[in-house]
Amino acid sequence: MAFLQITDLCAYYGKAQALHEVSLNVEQGEIIAIVGANGAGKSTLLDSVIGLTKTTGDITLEGTSIVAMNSSQIVRRGVGYATERFNLFPYMSVRDNLMVGAYTARDDVQKNLDMVHKLFPRLQEREHQETSTQSGGERQMVSLGRALMTSPRLLLVDEPTIGLAPKVCLEIADVLRRLRDEFGTTIVITEQNANFAMTLAERLYVLENGSIKAEGTVDELRDDPRLSEAYFGL
Amino acid sequence: MGLRWYHFALWAAFIAFMALLPELVSKGTLRTIIFANFLAVFAISWDVLSGRTGYISFGHPFLIGIGAYTSAILTKRYGFEIEVAIPIAVLMTMLGGLIVLLPALRIKGSYFALVTLAFMELMYQLVQVIRPDLTGGTRGMSGIPTLTRGALNGYYLSVTLMLCVAISMWLLMKTRVGTALSAIGMNEESVRGSGLSVTKLKMFAFLTAAAVAGLGGAFYVHYLGSVAPRALFDINFLFTIIVAALIGGSSTIIGPVIGAFFLTFLLEGLRPYLPGAERYFIYGGIALLLYMYQPKGLIEIFTQGWTRLRSRWTT
Repeated sequence: MAFLQITDLCAYYGKAQALHEVSLNVEQGEIIAIVGANGAGKSTLLDSVIGLTKTTGDITLEGTSIVAMNSSQIVRRGVGYATERFNLFPYMSVRDNLMVGAYTARDDVQKNLDMVHKLFPRLQEREHQETSTQSGGERQMVSLGRALMTSPRLLLVDEPTIGLAPKVCLEIADVLRRLRDEFGTTIVITEQNANFAMTLAERLYVLENGSIKAEGTVDELRDDPRLSEAYFGL
Repeated sequence: MGLRWYHFALWAAFIAFMALLPELVSKGTLRTIIFANFLAVFAISWDVLSGRTGYISFGHPFLIGIGAYTSAILTKRYGFEIEVAIPIAVLMTMLGGLIVLLPALRIKGSYFALVTLAFMELMYQLVQVIRPDLTGGTRGMSGIPTLTRGALNGYYLSVTLMLCVAISMWLLMKTRVGTALSAIGMNEESVRGSGLSVTKLKMFAFLTAAAVAGLGGAFYVHYLGSVAPRALFDINFLFTIIVAALIGGSSTIIGPVIGAFFLTFLLEGLRPYLPGAERYFIYGGIALLLYMYQPKGLIEIFTQGWTRLRSRWTT
């Protein structure tokens, strides 16, 4: 039984169908990447897992179906969602952004805050700064930190490297690896940057026009023409 | 943002200043301050709902009206004690808040604002048409039991109400719920993605705002001793509430208080020169300029001034 199992998932925005029978599975402690171009349906897929879109099909977490649950219930079951960094609360301080993430936390909020500060010391240094005045990298850290405030067992990360400098991308990758290695967090990221996805993830799914076009380990997909065809610059 | 000792010190200084104010100003000025206090309560209420969650309400007089009319009818027509009528009025206004919440579950932005405006118009028509023997119809009601007599007592009544509302709302907004409400105004989808129940939070905001509006409306009617639909459901009254909150500094508690005092004294200051509606033209122009200069309101101008002053002292 996979930790996260998605079966024949279709997602809709009104009458428009954004995902077409997407199926994938993620094992506990694994890092997987969903790669694809703009509009491929990557964010919709994560939105669907967290219960933000209208869907059909099934999503199970540790064998329990979560597809009919709302986002509050899903977060309480141990799923955290780091949205694109553009989706922060811009006129709030770093600390307040993190506290919104901690709203549903049942365990010790201070313990989670300490963990976030340990992973991102810069957030502690600038905890009173408004996020609208921060750099892209710092905002990405806030987005990840906010998702970690409930100490999730499954972390969904939407395009963590978009518009970021390579050095910052490496920092983000390092933190995600530490999360998996030190805390056993299972991680699903979406990425346009296939190179980044390959350095971080163990397995990849290629999403195109709302459908899975290819899947496999990094070694299996490295020379796969379907991956390079999808524009990734390889 | 956490609570700091100087926050409480500032509140204590403000309370002390307001307590001593009657010694420093004339009775005429006190009467102006009474209206500023009530406007501050209404502006805080509007800000809790609209300033925080971003759901711009054009129907706030609808809520204030429920509080005012309920308490007025219960005391004047049915002989209820004011102490009993006011809590009932607050509860009735919270019911009204739930009605305003319903469209907010489906629509937002300008559509929501227009629907709430319709609520105000609806209330205006209802009090005139439905049971005018109870509401007083177009002429409204007078001879409503009052809580106080005289400018000084009225001042202490209104300032106590304003301070109680301001401090309790300030404390509430310092909690995680307050932070979450502000987050809704900035990015509702992200709040939902963080696992918060946006519906419950909105319900909390709408009920809280309604409770404050109802409380303010009920006290206002028992201060004035009368209520007139044309004054209560007036577009100028609505915009004065909104402008007070925005010009003072939305999403803060002290901002709407500052805005209410600024606007009330501005309007009163202009009265000798422009006794008619022209005053609103001048006040609109000043409000526009101020808002263009500093969209975060007067509170931000004061904060920046204080920061500059402090850095000069320290260097």
